[in-house]
Amino acid sequence: MTQFPTRDSPTIDRRKFLRATGLLATGAALGTGLPRAWGADERVTLPFENGERKLVAYPQKRPLILLTARPPQLETPFSVFNESVLTPNDAFFVRYHLSDVPTTIDPATFRLKVRGAVGTALELSLTDLKQLGATTEIVAVNQCSGNSRGHFTPRVNGGQLSHGAMGNARWTGVPLRTVLQKAGLNRGARQVTFNGLDRPPIDATPDYVKALHVDHALEEDVMLAWAMNGEDLPMLNGYPLRLVVPGYYGTYWVKQVNDIEVLEHEFNGFWMAPAYRVPDNPTKSVPPGTTPAKTTPIMRFTIRSFITSLVAGATVPVGRETRVRGIAFDSGHGIREVIFSADGGRRWQAAELGRDEGRYSFREWHIGFKPAQRGSHTLMARALNRIGETQPLEPLWNPAGYLRNVVETVAVEAV
Amino acid sequence: MKNRFRFFLACAVATAPSALVSGASITLPTETARLIASPLPGYPLATGLCVTCHSVDYIASQPTSSRAYWQAATLKMQKTFGAPIPDTAVAPIVDYLVKTYGAERAVSPAGGATGATTKSAAGK
Repeated sequence: MTQFPTRDSPTIDRRKFLRATGLLATGAALGTGLPRAWGADERVTLPFENGERKLVAYPQKRPLILLTARPPQLETPFSVFNESVLTPNDAFFVRYHLSDVPTTIDPATFRLKVRGAVGTALELSLTDLKQLGATTEIVAVNQCSGNSRGHFTPRVNGGQLSHGAMGNARWTGVPLRTVLQKAGLNRGARQVTFNGLDRPPIDATPDYVKALHVDHALEEDVMLAWAMNGEDLPMLNGYPLRLVVPGYYGTYWVKQVNDIEVLEHEFNGFWMAPAYRVPDNPTKSVPPGTTPAKTTPIMRFTIRSFITSLVAGATVPVGRETRVRGIAFDSGHGIREVIFSADGGRRWQAAELGRDEGRYSFREWHIGFKPAQRGSHTLMARALNRIGETQPLEPLWNPAGYLRNVVETVAVEAV
Repeated sequence: MKNRFRFFLACAVATAPSALVSGASITLPTETARLIASPLPGYPLATGLCVTCHSVDYIASQPTSSRAYWQAATLKMQKTFGAPIPDTAVAPIVDYLVKTYGAERAVSPAGGATGATTKSAAGK
């Protein structure tokens, strides 16, 4: 059985926990670690077969879990989600699809084109964009469609991620609709496509282009962002401009976006069809191992919650209260309640919710846990949102390994 | 040597984000993953072709997968992504992949159980 190296961490104390994990970079970022031995071969093991990974520091990033080097795909070590409700820029996950990724950009000459079924085609500099209208800020989770794919049973192929292909940031930019309204949409406009500066390694490979329906593109929360957490976007998160589509999977959050086209028809490029599809039925799932009869593009997040303060195998003291913390999020309806179980789901108690950073943000929660007896305790958290969506107790399955939101369990040892 | 130096530079940049405030240039760390050497005829073909478009870790990180999966994956690269894989190279590449990384490997890379006995429906 493969395990996180953190699982035999002898304590729940956070600093000791960080040191014990071997995630020295995390410790270093907090000022507690020793100087890093650059180039040293640090590894983690994600909790599924073939889950051994290197930790590698990319530019503007602390050491993250390397999924693929070309194109860069980096997963956030899960301990980061216990540090703060906003995910630091240098720990935010990275996911590119095509290996010709931009590594040099001149912000002075960067232009965003808006073209197609519009009254006036535009070519906007970053300065133009920043002066177009009121700047907006929104705290929103970005999550990869395949976050947690490695936990599927039966396993599915694709990027073998644990739970770290997600992050929560404060995004600053201009509403997309401000830009679209300046261009003026033609009456027949149906979809808007987004292309970025990343390119395929060979011309025959489909370029990464995504589409939103016009009605969605005109919603107030969809934005073109130039900053996250008060700083320029890191290059690997889309500097100098990316699309932010709150509540929707990261596949739509096109990085280095420089070309917007308004279409009077439905776009059916490879990355909308057949890629990034889910079963077209109410549960968006099929019996494990089977193929859906009909599929539809992946859209909104499923509701999820995680325990962040304890990892599997951690020890807690018998007869004393341990404060258990975690996060929950959904697609923007807002978290109404998080319930917690310390006995594998037999009895549940409401946790206390933390500060509300907005309906698209991680919502922190915490609860006291006082084990009366020694031995193993199976901890679970389950979120409920304002429209009554909750997490299933048994996992749902689909062939692409998307949408995972089963109630996760963390087994700890009371001593 | 040169690679080590480049890697060091990339790390140095990463530790000094302030140097990047105005800009907008990064150097990616050197790619280190390599295909597992093999006497199978598909090994040199895979070495020459797969890495044209992506790093090897895509292959190495998959769960134990069937021949049908590796066949579909190789054809997807050729047909959907337009990789210049000659038709005659498909079969040996698939054979190399499934015997080196997949369900037909003799011993898992970790040195554990044999792939043939590892239950997996990953081939979907």
